[in-house]
Amino acid sequence: MSRFLRLYEKKRGERRTGSKAVGNIGEALFFGVFFVVGCIALAGMVSWFVWPEWRANRQFASSTCVLLDKRVDERAGADDTEAPTYLPEFHIQYEADGQKWDAKTYDVNRTYSTDREAVEAILDRYEVGDRYVCWYDPIHPQTVVLVRGYSGWLYLLMLIPISFIAIGGGGLVYTLLQWNASAERRSLLAQRAARIDLFDAGTGTGAFPTVPADSHVTDSPGTTLAYRLPGGSSTGLKMVAVAMACLMWNGLVTIFIVMAISAFRAGEPDWVLTVSLVPFVAGGVGLVVYFVRLALIAAGVGPTWIEISHHPLSPGHSCEALLSQAGRLKLNSLELWLACDEKATYRQGTDTRTESRRVYQERCFVRNDIEIDRGLSFESRCRVKVPAVAMHSFQANHNEVNWKLIVKGSVDGWPDYERVFRIVVNPAGNGDAHA
Amino acid sequence: MNAPGLRLALDEKPRAYRAGDVLQGRFSLEGVAPVDVRAVELSVLWHTDGKGDEDMSVHYFERVEPQNGQPIDLQHARRFSTALPASPLSYDGLIVKICWLVRVRVFLSRGKELSHEIPFQLGTVPHPHEVAT
Repeated sequence: MSRFLRLYEKKRGERRTGSKAVGNIGEALFFGVFFVVGCIALAGMVSWFVWPEWRANRQFASSTCVLLDKRVDERAGADDTEAPTYLPEFHIQYEADGQKWDAKTYDVNRTYSTDREAVEAILDRYEVGDRYVCWYDPIHPQTVVLVRGYSGWLYLLMLIPISFIAIGGGGLVYTLLQWNASAERRSLLAQRAARIDLFDAGTGTGAFPTVPADSHVTDSPGTTLAYRLPGGSSTGLKMVAVAMACLMWNGLVTIFIVMAISAFRAGEPDWVLTVSLVPFVAGGVGLVVYFVRLALIAAGVGPTWIEISHHPLSPGHSCEALLSQAGRLKLNSLELWLACDEKATYRQGTDTRTESRRVYQERCFVRNDIEIDRGLSFESRCRVKVPAVAMHSFQANHNEVNWKLIVKGSVDGWPDYERVFRIVVNPAGNGDAHA
Repeated sequence: MNAPGLRLALDEKPRAYRAGDVLQGRFSLEGVAPVDVRAVELSVLWHTDGKGDEDMSVHYFERVEPQNGQPIDLQHARRFSTALPASPLSYDGLIVKICWLVRVRVFLSRGKELSHEIPFQLGTVPHPHEVAT
């Protein structure tokens, strides 16, 4: 048995690859449960509600009845917490197939409601002793209704089992199609699916597959040189994220601090709580310091722009760059670096981790002691050269090679700052790193 | 019948190619009755092998199945040929490695499977060195 159903397969470094067969079975079971639950629920809804309602509307024969009695049928809740439910019930006498019948009825579904007033309002529309139109089932004449129609809520509710069936069925078909497919065939199917994803324009698939598209750069013309590079990370978003984390963390820690202080004031100090709070308070202070640092950089350092003469770059080629730094600043130094990082994303247990290694960096520009007056900006040109021996930009789902220009600034009396601008480096014409 | 022998060979030696080069080769199978062969798949692909989870992409794929009850004859070498793309180039990075290979899989009756692969080099990007940040 273990030959056919291995729980673990090959080991990769510190990680073990799970068995494909077990994975497939688990996936099929997961989607299968969804599908079966959806089918059962839909079948139940159709047989208990939809089919009887449809028959009452389309197949029941009309007749005339005499209303003998009317009342509210009350059904108690399962326990004290559950409210009772109500149903209008009419005792009628009618004629079907030449025979007189007696029945207690209202609609075909006999759906109880929690709204007693609404049920009583229905009762008020009918008078005992009056004659009304009714509809009876020609197959079982003892089944009769006073009202017909379709329940809108029922068809909305049917979306729930239908979505279960769609998710479960789709997943099941996908799993079964993939069951005996080789890794290459599965990858090919995924590639074809990605190609028809009209919204996925992230990675080039034309002349240079896996090289990121450079439209984010070429869509943004510069004022002096051809293109203005978009900033790699948004300081505003980062600040909001850090502020949120800061508030949540320190809010929680404050609750425990208040508890600890209350215990002290009550003369019953909780030393375990107090001591265990220390690292959490330190973490909170660290977050506040980091937020303040970000805020200082955002408020004190003006925007940084880089424009380049052409894009994308390729190994062995260079371009002209224009570095522009705004804001009323006294800079100890301003540097522009060309760098290349490898980035790998991997799962470890339930965590997704990302690791990055720098494989190339070169300073393209440095200037010390710069003073920028209010309303002006510092501008300087330099050349950026991609080394002839270099890997091109590469982007896959879990692995990347990223080229970037990094501006590093050291400001008098402020925290140092770093701004990153992503660029794309294409492979050299024939794939040789030596162009 | 002898033990199954799946053979795969590339025409080019050494196995180093440049972007746009045509990769050509052949594969054959001995020791297996043609009626036992359910399907054959030949792929030219790259995959990553490093710290990150594996990425893979198939550049060329060919699947042969018995047609109209005619078994697949792999006794005679079957040839394949494809022009290689401009990227990604083979790369032996610190935590990201890109490996190109040709792989042939033979699916036999009763769920058995044979496979053989030959790695090759696309481009000449040298091994990088870590830079302190």
